Amino acid sequence: MILISPYSKKLTNGKENPKNYPYWKELLSMIDEPVIQVGITGETQICTDFRQNLSLDDLKMLLQACRTWIGCDSFFQHLAWSEGKPGIVLWGISDPLIYGHPENVNLLKGREYLAPNQFLWWEAYEFDADRFVKPDVVLKHL
Amino acid sequence: MSKILCSVATRGRYFTTLPLVIQAILNQSRLPDKLIIFDDNDEPQDMRNEPLYQNLFYVMHCKGLDWEWVYAPKKGQHHIHQMANTWGFDWVWRVDDDAIPEPNVLDTLSAYALGNVGAVGGTVMNPPHKPECLGSSGLIKNIYSEPNIQWGLIDEVKMVEHLYCSFLYRAGVHDFNLGLSRVAHREETLFTYGLHKKGYDLFVVPDAMTWHLKSPTGGIRSEVGQEMYEHDERIFRNFVEHKDKTIVVLNCGLGDHIVFSKILPKIKNPIVFTCYPEVVPGRSIAEAQSLFGDIDQWNIYKKMDAWKWTESIEKAFERMYL
Repeated sequence: MILISPYSKKLTNGKENPKNYPYWKELLSMIDEPVIQVGITGETQICTDFRQNLSLDDLKMLLQACRTWIGCDSFFQHLAWSEGKPGIVLWGISDPLIYGHPENVNLLKGREYLAPNQFLWWEAYEFDADRFVKPDVVLKHL
Repeated sequence: MSKILCSVATRGRYFTTLPLVIQAILNQSRLPDKLIIFDDNDEPQDMRNEPLYQNLFYVMHCKGLDWEWVYAPKKGQHHIHQMANTWGFDWVWRVDDDAIPEPNVLDTLSAYALGNVGAVGGTVMNPPHKPECLGSSGLIKNIYSEPNIQWGLIDEVKMVEHLYCSFLYRAGVHDFNLGLSRVAHREETLFTYGLHKKGYDLFVVPDAMTWHLKSPTGGIRSEVGQEMYEHDERIFRNFVEHKDKTIVVLNCGLGDHIVFSKILPKIKNPIVFTCYPEVVPGRSIAEAQSLFGDIDQWNIYKKMDAWKWTESIEKAFERMYL
Protein backbone atom coordinates (compact mmCIF):
# COMPACT_ATOMS: atom_id res chain seq x y z
CA MET A 1 0.00 0.00 0.00
CA ILE A 2 1.16 3.48 -0.89
CA LEU A 3 0.11 6.54 1.04
CA ILE A 4 -0.24 9.88 -0.73
CA SER A 5 -0.58 13.34 0.75
CA PRO A 6 -1.22 15.38 -2.39
CA TYR A 7 -1.76 18.94 -1.16
CA SER A 8 0.01 21.61 0.77
CA LYS A 9 -2.18 23.82 2.91
CA LYS A 10 -4.61 26.23 1.27
CA LEU A 11 -3.41 29.75 0.62
CA THR A 12 -5.13 32.69 2.25
CA ASN A 13 -5.73 34.31 -1.14
CA GLY A 14 -7.71 31.28 -2.36
CA LYS A 15 -5.30 30.54 -5.21
CA GLU A 16 -3.70 27.16 -5.88
CA ASN A 17 -0.71 26.57 -3.65
CA PRO A 18 2.38 26.70 -5.91
CA LYS A 19 3.82 23.76 -3.94
CA ASN A 20 1.02 21.42 -5.08
CA TYR A 21 2.02 18.71 -7.55
CA PRO A 22 0.02 19.07 -10.80
CA TYR A 23 0.12 15.53 -12.20
CA TRP A 24 -1.45 13.38 -9.52
CA LYS A 25 -4.12 11.79 -11.69
CA GLU A 26 -1.58 10.78 -14.34
CA LEU A 27 0.74 9.45 -11.68
CA LEU A 28 -1.96 7.43 -9.95
CA SER A 29 -2.99 5.84 -13.24
CA MET A 30 0.53 4.45 -13.52
CA ILE A 31 0.70 2.92 -10.02
CA ASP A 32 -0.28 -0.72 -9.80
CA GLU A 33 -0.91 -1.18 -6.08
CA PRO A 34 -3.40 0.07 -3.49
CA VAL A 35 -3.22 3.79 -2.72
CA ILE A 36 -4.68 5.68 0.23
CA GLN A 37 -5.06 9.44 0.06
CA VAL A 38 -4.83 11.47 3.27
CA GLY A 39 -5.83 15.07 3.65
CA ILE A 40 -8.45 17.39 5.03
CA THR A 41 -12.00 18.34 4.21
CA GLY A 42 -12.21 20.52 1.13
CA GLU A 43 -9.29 18.98 -0.71
CA THR A 44 -9.96 17.32 -4.06
CA GLN A 45 -10.45 13.58 -3.83
CA ILE A 46 -8.20 11.75 -6.29
CA CYS A 47 -8.34 8.24 -4.77
CA THR A 48 -11.26 6.02 -3.96
CA ASP A 49 -9.91 5.67 -0.44
CA PHE A 50 -9.65 9.25 0.84
CA ARG A 51 -9.21 9.52 4.60
CA GLN A 52 -9.87 13.01 5.87
CA ASN A 53 -8.95 14.88 9.02
CA LEU A 54 -7.04 12.03 10.64
CA SER A 55 -5.32 12.60 13.94
CA LEU A 56 -1.53 12.66 14.04
CA ASP A 57 -1.60 9.25 15.76
CA ASP A 58 -3.74 7.77 12.98
CA LEU A 59 -1.43 9.21 10.34
CA LYS A 60 1.55 7.72 12.13
CA MET A 61 -0.10 4.28 12.12
CA LEU A 62 -0.82 4.53 8.41
CA LEU A 63 2.76 5.57 7.80
CA GLN A 64 4.02 2.49 9.59
CA ALA A 65 1.65 0.29 7.58
CA CYS A 66 2.44 1.63 4.09
CA ARG A 67 5.23 0.43 1.81
CA THR A 68 6.14 4.03 1.09
CA TRP A 69 4.50 7.40 0.61
CA ILE A 70 4.43 10.27 -1.90
CA GLY A 71 3.74 13.88 -1.05
CA CYS A 72 4.52 17.48 -1.82
CA ASP A 73 6.26 19.97 0.49
CA SER A 74 3.80 19.97 3.38
CA PHE A 75 3.79 19.05 7.07
CA PHE A 76 3.30 15.39 6.06
CA GLN A 77 6.88 14.97 4.83
CA HIS A 78 8.10 16.22 8.22
CA LEU A 79 5.79 13.86 10.07
CA ALA A 80 7.02 10.88 8.02
CA TRP A 81 10.64 11.94 8.61
CA SER A 82 9.90 12.19 12.31
CA GLU A 83 8.51 8.63 12.17
CA GLY A 84 11.58 7.36 10.33
CA LYS A 85 9.58 6.41 7.22
CA PRO A 86 11.27 7.52 3.99
CA GLY A 87 9.21 8.46 0.96
CA ILE A 88 9.11 10.59 -2.17
CA VAL A 89 8.67 14.38 -2.04
CA LEU A 90 7.71 16.26 -5.20
CA TRP A 91 9.25 19.74 -5.14
CA GLY A 92 8.39 22.81 -7.18
CA ILE A 93 9.29 26.22 -5.83
CA SER A 94 10.44 25.45 -2.29
CA ASP A 95 14.01 24.34 -1.69
CA PRO A 96 14.53 20.75 -0.51
CA LEU A 97 17.92 21.74 0.92
CA ILE A 98 16.07 24.01 3.36
CA TYR A 99 12.70 22.35 3.87
CA GLY A 100 13.46 18.75 2.94
CA HIS A 101 15.14 15.78 4.58
CA PRO A 102 17.95 13.84 2.91
CA GLU A 103 16.41 10.54 4.05
CA ASN A 104 13.68 11.02 1.43
CA VAL A 105 13.82 10.89 -2.36
CA ASN A 106 13.52 14.60 -3.13
CA LEU A 107 12.48 15.09 -6.74
CA LEU A 108 13.20 18.60 -7.92
CA LYS A 109 13.03 19.43 -11.63
CA GLY A 110 15.77 22.00 -11.30
CA ARG A 111 17.03 24.67 -8.95
CA GLU A 112 16.25 27.30 -11.58
CA TYR A 113 12.56 26.70 -10.81
CA LEU A 114 12.89 27.57 -7.12
CA ALA A 115 11.34 30.74 -5.74
CA PRO A 116 13.99 33.46 -5.49
CA ASN A 117 13.03 34.17 -1.89
CA GLN A 118 12.32 31.03 0.10
CA PHE A 119 11.07 32.88 3.18
CA LEU A 120 8.18 34.93 1.82
CA TRP A 121 4.58 33.82 2.04
CA TRP A 122 3.89 31.34 -0.75
CA GLU A 123 0.95 33.57 -1.70
CA ALA A 124 3.54 35.77 -3.39
CA TYR A 125 4.07 33.14 -6.09
CA GLU A 126 1.82 31.76 -8.84
CA PHE A 127 1.17 28.08 -9.35
CA ASP A 128 3.08 26.79 -12.38
CA ALA A 129 2.86 23.13 -13.42
CA ASP A 130 6.03 23.44 -15.44
CA ARG A 131 8.12 23.60 -12.26
CA PHE A 132 7.55 19.91 -11.45
CA VAL A 133 8.94 16.59 -12.68
CA LYS A 134 6.62 14.45 -14.82
CA PRO A 135 4.95 11.27 -13.44
CA ASP A 136 7.31 8.91 -15.30
CA VAL A 137 10.22 10.35 -13.31
CA VAL A 138 8.35 9.67 -10.08
CA LEU A 139 7.52 6.14 -11.11
CA LYS A 140 11.20 5.30 -11.59
CA HIS A 141 11.78 5.98 -7.90
CA LEU A 142 8.74 4.16 -6.57
CA MET B 1 37.80 48.50 8.59
CA SER B 2 34.33 48.19 10.11
CA LYS B 3 31.83 50.82 8.97
CA ILE B 4 30.13 52.81 11.71
CA LEU B 5 26.81 54.58 11.42
CA CYS B 6 26.00 57.29 13.94
CA SER B 7 22.26 57.53 14.52
CA VAL B 8 20.49 60.32 16.37
CA ALA B 9 16.75 60.06 17.01
CA THR B 10 15.27 63.45 17.75
CA ARG B 11 11.99 65.02 18.72
CA GLY B 12 11.21 68.51 19.95
CA ARG B 13 14.83 69.64 20.25
CA TYR B 14 15.59 71.43 16.99
CA PHE B 15 16.83 74.53 18.80
CA THR B 16 17.90 73.23 22.20
CA THR B 17 20.27 70.28 22.49
CA LEU B 18 20.20 68.76 18.98
CA PRO B 19 22.66 71.31 17.47
CA LEU B 20 25.03 70.68 20.39
CA VAL B 21 24.85 66.93 19.73
CA ILE B 22 25.59 67.40 16.03
CA GLN B 23 28.53 69.65 16.83
CA ALA B 24 29.87 67.12 19.35
CA ILE B 25 29.67 64.41 16.69
CA LEU B 26 31.47 66.68 14.24
CA ASN B 27 34.20 67.20 16.81
CA GLN B 28 34.93 63.50 17.25
CA SER B 29 38.57 62.53 16.81
CA ARG B 30 37.26 59.54 14.83
CA LEU B 31 34.29 60.49 12.69
CA PRO B 32 31.60 57.92 11.95
CA ASP B 33 31.24 56.79 8.34
CA LYS B 34 27.78 58.29 8.20
CA LEU B 35 25.47 60.37 10.38
CA ILE B 36 21.71 59.94 10.15
CA ILE B 37 19.38 62.29 12.00
CA PHE B 38 16.04 60.50 12.40
CA ASP B 39 13.52 63.30 12.74
CA ASP B 40 10.53 62.11 14.79
CA ASN B 41 9.04 65.57 15.33
CA ASP B 42 5.29 65.95 15.28
CA GLU B 43 5.72 68.77 12.76
CA PRO B 44 8.99 68.09 10.97
CA GLN B 45 10.79 70.99 9.34
CA ASP B 46 13.29 71.32 6.53
CA MET B 47 16.32 72.34 8.54
CA ARG B 48 18.22 73.33 5.40
CA ASN B 49 16.29 76.59 5.68
CA GLU B 50 17.66 77.36 9.15
CA PRO B 51 20.91 79.37 9.28
CA LEU B 52 22.20 77.40 12.29
CA TYR B 53 21.74 74.09 10.49
CA GLN B 54 23.03 75.49 7.21
CA ASN B 55 26.30 76.10 9.05
CA LEU B 56 26.32 72.66 10.64
CA PHE B 57 25.67 71.02 7.28
CA TYR B 58 28.49 73.12 5.83
CA VAL B 59 30.88 71.85 8.49
CA MET B 60 29.79 68.26 7.74
CA HIS B 61 30.58 68.88 4.08
CA CYS B 62 33.99 70.38 4.90
CA LYS B 63 34.86 67.46 7.17
CA GLY B 64 33.71 64.92 4.60
CA LEU B 65 31.03 63.45 6.87
CA ASP B 66 28.34 61.67 4.88
CA TRP B 67 24.96 62.57 6.39
CA GLU B 68 21.28 62.08 5.87
CA TRP B 69 18.15 63.56 7.42
CA VAL B 70 15.42 60.94 7.62
CA TYR B 71 11.82 61.77 8.51
CA ALA B 72 10.87 58.99 10.90
CA PRO B 73 7.51 57.17 11.06
CA LYS B 74 6.41 58.63 14.44
CA LYS B 75 6.06 55.21 16.02
CA GLY B 76 8.71 55.64 18.68
CA GLN B 77 12.45 55.50 18.83
CA HIS B 78 12.63 51.69 18.90
CA HIS B 79 11.39 51.71 15.28
CA ILE B 80 14.05 54.29 14.48
CA HIS B 81 16.80 52.27 16.11
CA GLN B 82 15.69 49.17 14.24
CA MET B 83 15.98 51.13 10.98
CA ALA B 84 19.52 52.13 11.94
CA ASN B 85 20.25 48.58 13.08
CA THR B 86 19.43 47.24 9.63
CA TRP B 87 20.80 50.10 7.52
CA GLY B 88 23.73 47.93 6.40
CA PHE B 89 26.56 49.14 8.61
CA ASP B 90 28.77 46.95 10.79
CA TRP B 91 28.28 49.01 13.93
CA VAL B 92 25.87 51.69 15.07
CA TRP B 93 26.78 54.44 17.50
CA ARG B 94 23.51 55.64 18.93
CA VAL B 95 23.55 59.08 20.45
CA ASP B 96 20.53 60.60 22.16
CA ASP B 97 19.47 64.07 21.06
CA ASP B 98 20.46 65.51 24.44
CA ALA B 99 23.64 63.47 24.95
CA ILE B 100 26.86 65.35 24.27
CA PRO B 101 29.84 63.04 23.77
CA GLU B 102 33.37 64.22 24.53
CA PRO B 103 35.54 64.31 21.38
CA ASN B 104 37.24 60.97 22.09
CA VAL B 105 34.13 58.86 22.72
CA LEU B 106 33.66 57.16 19.36
CA ASP B 107 37.41 56.60 19.01
CA THR B 108 37.50 55.00 22.44
CA LEU B 109 34.40 52.86 22.02
CA SER B 110 35.37 51.66 18.55
CA ALA B 111 38.69 50.39 19.88
CA TYR B 112 36.67 47.70 21.67
CA ALA B 113 34.49 46.84 18.67
CA LEU B 114 36.19 43.55 18.02
CA GLY B 115 35.77 39.79 18.32
CA ASN B 116 32.72 38.74 20.28
CA VAL B 117 31.79 42.22 21.48
CA GLY B 118 28.11 43.06 21.02
CA ALA B 119 28.06 46.57 22.51
CA VAL B 120 30.26 48.97 24.40
CA GLY B 121 29.38 52.11 26.33
CA GLY B 122 30.96 54.69 28.56
CA THR B 123 29.86 57.03 31.29
CA VAL B 124 26.67 58.97 30.69
CA MET B 125 26.88 61.78 33.22
CA ASN B 126 23.61 63.35 34.27
CA PRO B 127 24.20 66.84 35.76
CA PRO B 128 24.16 67.72 38.59
CA HIS B 129 25.30 64.24 39.70
CA LYS B 130 28.88 64.12 40.95
CA PRO B 131 31.31 62.34 38.64
CA GLU B 132 32.25 59.43 40.90
CA CYS B 133 32.38 55.65 40.71
CA LEU B 134 29.15 54.02 41.83
CA GLY B 135 30.35 50.45 42.29
CA SER B 136 27.42 49.01 40.36
CA SER B 137 27.59 45.55 38.82
CA GLY B 138 25.78 46.18 35.53
CA LEU B 139 24.06 42.80 35.93
CA ILE B 140 20.41 42.44 35.02
CA LYS B 141 19.55 40.74 38.31
CA ASN B 142 20.54 43.94 40.12
CA ILE B 143 18.75 46.37 37.85
CA TYR B 144 16.15 47.28 40.47
CA SER B 145 18.60 47.52 43.37
CA GLU B 146 21.56 49.56 42.10
CA PRO B 147 22.18 52.77 40.18
CA ASN B 148 22.97 52.32 36.51
CA ILE B 149 26.68 51.71 36.12
CA GLN B 150 26.87 54.27 33.29
CA TRP B 151 25.63 57.05 35.57
CA GLY B 152 29.00 57.06 37.31
CA LEU B 153 32.66 57.25 36.41
CA ILE B 154 34.02 54.00 35.00
CA ASP B 155 37.58 53.37 36.12
CA GLU B 156 38.20 50.02 34.41
CA VAL B 157 36.85 47.92 31.58
CA LYS B 158 34.00 45.87 32.96
CA MET B 159 31.74 43.25 31.46
CA VAL B 160 28.06 44.02 31.96
CA GLU B 161 24.70 42.61 30.89
CA HIS B 162 22.94 45.77 29.72
CA LEU B 163 23.64 49.33 28.59
CA TYR B 164 21.59 52.47 28.32
CA CYS B 165 21.27 55.81 26.54
CA SER B 166 24.23 56.09 24.17
CA PHE B 167 26.57 53.27 23.16
CA LEU B 168 28.18 51.55 20.18
CA TYR B 169 26.62 48.25 19.13
CA ARG B 170 27.13 45.52 16.57
CA ALA B 171 24.49 46.02 13.88
CA GLY B 172 22.10 43.46 12.49
CA VAL B 173 22.59 40.64 14.97
CA HIS B 174 19.67 41.35 17.29
CA ASP B 175 16.40 43.20 16.81
CA PHE B 176 14.82 45.94 18.86
CA ASN B 177 11.54 44.94 20.48
CA LEU B 178 8.92 46.60 18.28
CA GLY B 179 6.15 45.48 20.61
CA LEU B 180 6.91 48.34 22.99
CA SER B 181 4.68 51.40 23.05
CA ARG B 182 5.66 54.68 21.39
CA VAL B 183 7.38 55.76 24.57
CA ALA B 184 9.75 52.79 24.17
CA HIS B 185 10.57 52.69 27.85
CA ARG B 186 13.52 50.34 28.54
CA GLU B 187 14.09 49.75 24.83
CA GLU B 188 17.86 50.04 25.04
CA THR B 189 18.08 47.86 28.14
CA LEU B 190 15.97 45.17 26.45
CA PHE B 191 18.04 45.43 23.30
CA THR B 192 21.44 45.21 24.95
CA TYR B 193 20.33 42.50 27.35
CA GLY B 194 19.15 40.59 24.27
CA LEU B 195 22.66 40.90 22.82
CA HIS B 196 24.04 39.52 26.07
CA LYS B 197 21.56 36.61 26.01
CA LYS B 198 22.67 35.82 22.48
CA GLY B 199 26.21 35.34 23.76
CA TYR B 200 27.76 38.65 22.81
CA ASP B 201 30.01 40.46 25.28
CA LEU B 202 28.97 43.87 26.59
CA PHE B 203 31.43 46.26 28.18
CA VAL B 204 31.55 49.58 29.91
CA VAL B 205 34.89 51.29 29.42
CA PRO B 206 36.71 54.26 30.98
CA ASP B 207 37.54 57.53 29.28
CA ALA B 208 34.38 57.72 27.17
CA MET B 209 32.27 60.42 28.80
CA THR B 210 28.96 61.60 27.45
CA TRP B 211 27.15 64.51 29.10
CA HIS B 212 23.45 63.90 29.31
CA LEU B 213 22.07 67.45 29.24
CA LYS B 214 18.52 66.44 29.92
CA SER B 215 16.38 69.11 28.40
CA PRO B 216 13.18 69.99 30.22
CA THR B 217 11.29 70.05 26.93
CA GLY B 218 11.08 67.75 23.95
CA GLY B 219 12.70 64.39 23.74
CA ILE B 220 12.02 61.20 21.91
CA ARG B 221 10.15 59.88 24.93
CA SER B 222 7.95 62.95 25.37
CA GLU B 223 4.75 61.05 25.92
CA VAL B 224 2.46 61.50 28.87
CA GLY B 225 0.47 58.27 28.83
CA GLN B 226 1.28 56.40 32.03
CA GLU B 227 -0.23 53.27 30.51
CA MET B 228 2.51 53.23 27.89
CA TYR B 229 5.22 53.15 30.55
CA GLU B 230 3.35 50.47 32.44
CA HIS B 231 2.94 48.38 29.28
CA ASP B 232 6.64 48.59 28.47
CA GLU B 233 7.72 48.02 32.06
CA ARG B 234 5.58 44.88 32.19
CA ILE B 235 7.29 43.51 29.09
CA PHE B 236 10.69 44.35 30.51
CA ARG B 237 9.92 42.66 33.85
CA ASN B 238 8.72 39.55 32.02
CA PHE B 239 12.04 39.32 30.18
CA VAL B 240 13.94 39.74 33.44
CA GLU B 241 11.77 37.14 35.19
CA HIS B 242 12.61 34.64 32.45
CA LYS B 243 16.29 35.51 32.39
CA ASP B 244 17.38 31.97 33.24
CA LYS B 245 15.12 30.41 30.62
CA THR B 246 15.50 29.97 26.89
CA ILE B 247 12.32 31.53 25.53
CA VAL B 248 11.01 29.51 22.59
CA VAL B 249 8.17 30.95 20.52
CA LEU B 250 6.96 28.71 17.70
CA ASN B 251 4.84 31.10 15.65
CA CYS B 252 5.18 28.89 12.59
CA GLY B 253 3.60 25.94 10.80
CA LEU B 254 2.80 22.39 11.85
CA GLY B 255 5.69 20.90 9.88
CA ASP B 256 8.09 23.37 11.48
CA HIS B 257 6.88 22.25 14.90
CA ILE B 258 7.61 18.63 13.97
CA VAL B 259 11.14 19.53 12.88
CA PHE B 260 11.67 21.68 15.97
CA SER B 261 10.60 18.83 18.27
CA LYS B 262 13.86 17.04 17.42
CA ILE B 263 16.01 19.81 18.84
CA LEU B 264 13.87 20.65 21.86
CA PRO B 265 15.72 18.15 24.10
CA LYS B 266 19.01 19.96 23.38
CA ILE B 267 17.70 23.37 24.53
CA LYS B 268 18.77 24.51 27.96
CA ASN B 269 15.91 25.28 30.33
CA PRO B 270 13.29 26.08 27.70
CA ILE B 271 9.96 27.78 28.17
CA VAL B 272 7.88 27.06 25.09
CA PHE B 273 5.03 28.97 23.44
CA THR B 274 3.44 26.97 20.66
CA CYS B 275 0.76 26.92 17.97
CA TYR B 276 0.50 23.11 18.06
CA PRO B 277 0.69 21.87 21.64
CA GLU B 278 -0.12 18.35 20.47
CA VAL B 279 3.27 18.34 18.70
CA VAL B 280 5.33 20.60 20.96
CA PRO B 281 3.71 21.08 24.38
CA GLY B 282 3.70 24.59 25.71
CA ARG B 283 1.78 27.77 26.40
CA SER B 284 -0.15 29.76 23.82
CA ILE B 285 1.22 32.26 21.33
CA ALA B 286 -1.25 34.84 22.65
CA GLU B 287 0.39 34.52 26.05
CA ALA B 288 3.81 35.07 24.49
CA GLN B 289 2.54 38.26 22.87
CA SER B 290 1.12 39.44 26.15
CA LEU B 291 4.34 38.72 28.04
CA PHE B 292 6.96 39.89 25.57
CA GLY B 293 5.26 42.31 23.18
CA ASP B 294 6.81 41.74 19.79
CA ILE B 295 7.23 38.04 19.05
CA ASP B 296 8.59 38.56 15.55
CA GLN B 297 12.05 38.24 17.04
CA TRP B 298 11.31 34.49 17.21
CA ASN B 299 9.92 34.24 13.66
CA ILE B 300 12.14 31.55 12.14
CA TYR B 301 11.28 32.60 8.59
CA LYS B 302 12.28 36.22 9.22
CA LYS B 303 15.47 34.97 10.79
CA MET B 304 16.31 32.72 7.85
CA ASP B 305 15.60 35.60 5.50
CA ALA B 306 17.87 37.92 7.49
CA TRP B 307 20.59 35.26 7.66
CA LYS B 308 20.27 34.54 3.92
CA TRP B 309 19.88 30.97 5.03
CA THR B 310 20.70 28.05 2.72
CA GLU B 311 20.86 25.12 5.14
CA SER B 312 18.02 23.10 6.65
CA ILE B 313 15.31 24.58 8.81
CA GLU B 314 16.42 22.20 11.57
CA LYS B 315 19.84 23.85 11.55
CA ALA B 316 18.15 27.27 11.57
CA PHE B 317 16.30 26.33 14.75
CA GLU B 318 19.60 25.16 16.23
CA ARG B 319 21.23 28.49 15.42
CA MET B 320 18.31 30.31 17.00
CA TYR B 321 18.04 28.38 20.22
CA LEU B 322 21.26 26.48 20.95
